[in-house]
Amino acid sequence: MSISSSARKPKGAAATGAGEGAVAPPITLSERSSTGLALLRILVGYLWFQQLFWKLPPTFAGLYGYVVRESQHAILPGYGALLQHTFLAGCSSLSSPVGCTAFVPLAACVWTAELLVAISLLFGLFTRFGAILATVLSVQLYVGLAYTEWIWTYGMLVLLALVLVAVPAGRRLGVDLWLAPRLQAAGRRHRLAHIASWFV
Amino acid sequence: MHTLHRGLLAGICASLVLAMFDFVTDGAPGNGFPGVLRWFGLTITDPTISHWVGFFLLIVLGGVFGLIFGVLQRGKLITAGRALLTGLALGVLWWFIFEVALANITNHASSPFNLSFGQFLSSFPLAVLFGVLLGAIFIQWQARPAAETS
Repeated sequence: MSISSSARKPKGAAATGAGEGAVAPPITLSERSSTGLALLRILVGYLWFQQLFWKLPPTFAGLYGYVVRESQHAILPGYGALLQHTFLAGCSSLSSPVGCTAFVPLAACVWTAELLVAISLLFGLFTRFGAILATVLSVQLYVGLAYTEWIWTYGMLVLLALVLVAVPAGRRLGVDLWLAPRLQAAGRRHRLAHIASWFV
Repeated sequence: MHTLHRGLLAGICASLVLAMFDFVTDGAPGNGFPGVLRWFGLTITDPTISHWVGFFLLIVLGGVFGLIFGVLQRGKLITAGRALLTGLALGVLWWFIFEVALANITNHASSPFNLSFGQFLSSFPLAVLFGVLLGAIFIQWQARPAAETS
């Protein structure tokens, strides 16, 4: 009896545990964890910031070789053709953007997007917006370049950006610290402020 | 914590973040530290000593700017907006003094305000970041004792 009784106990305990487990306890990040995530955000921002310098305006020439590689090795069917008809339209050389009709304006858009990501993540300014933009840019790099280098290189870039989408990392050591409560308060009255509050 | 003490520590921490960037730079870790020496026209031939002296000088400068930040608060509790704005202004001052004026004077440039787009892009955001971090760290440490006492 004692054995069966003791054998039942864990079952009961398990059932109680399952009942408690049905409602997940809320997760609260400590100050240290939040500051750690803020440092991670700053370093990821610096990663994007550093990459601005090998493709500086007005020519953005450093980007050209990578776009050519993406057009040749893209893992998504049709993506290479898309690049050839947009970024590489009219290009006559594989090594320099000679004759390209749309390369400079499109490269300027990419460079500006990367600058926005860098500023957003470094300063913690609309951090989640910057992280979403970083995710889009990283996924694009993964699609185009994943199999030309170590497969996880761009995969990790996507995952890092996704972490910063999930967590409000700009609310410590960043401008979002000041912005978030104001946008949340204004968001009760103004729809635009409510939408903007999603991105801090 | 007194505002001067808090400002000093916040400045040191903000400059440590800038120093951290020099460990994830191209080439060898710490390649940017001799650049801090060049602001003052100093050159040390031994690369190891040059890296370490540059690192310590950066931390000292961060501490000095942190002290200035603390002095400006005059021992009062300040808002997050004021802390970030003051930090931002000190960051711009840091950029102007070290990256523009001193760098051009010690390099014997034609004008003390000589600056290319690349130089601006590589120096201005990081100097402003130093200031924003200074303000943000200061306000976080101000909030902690305030929360403990309430």
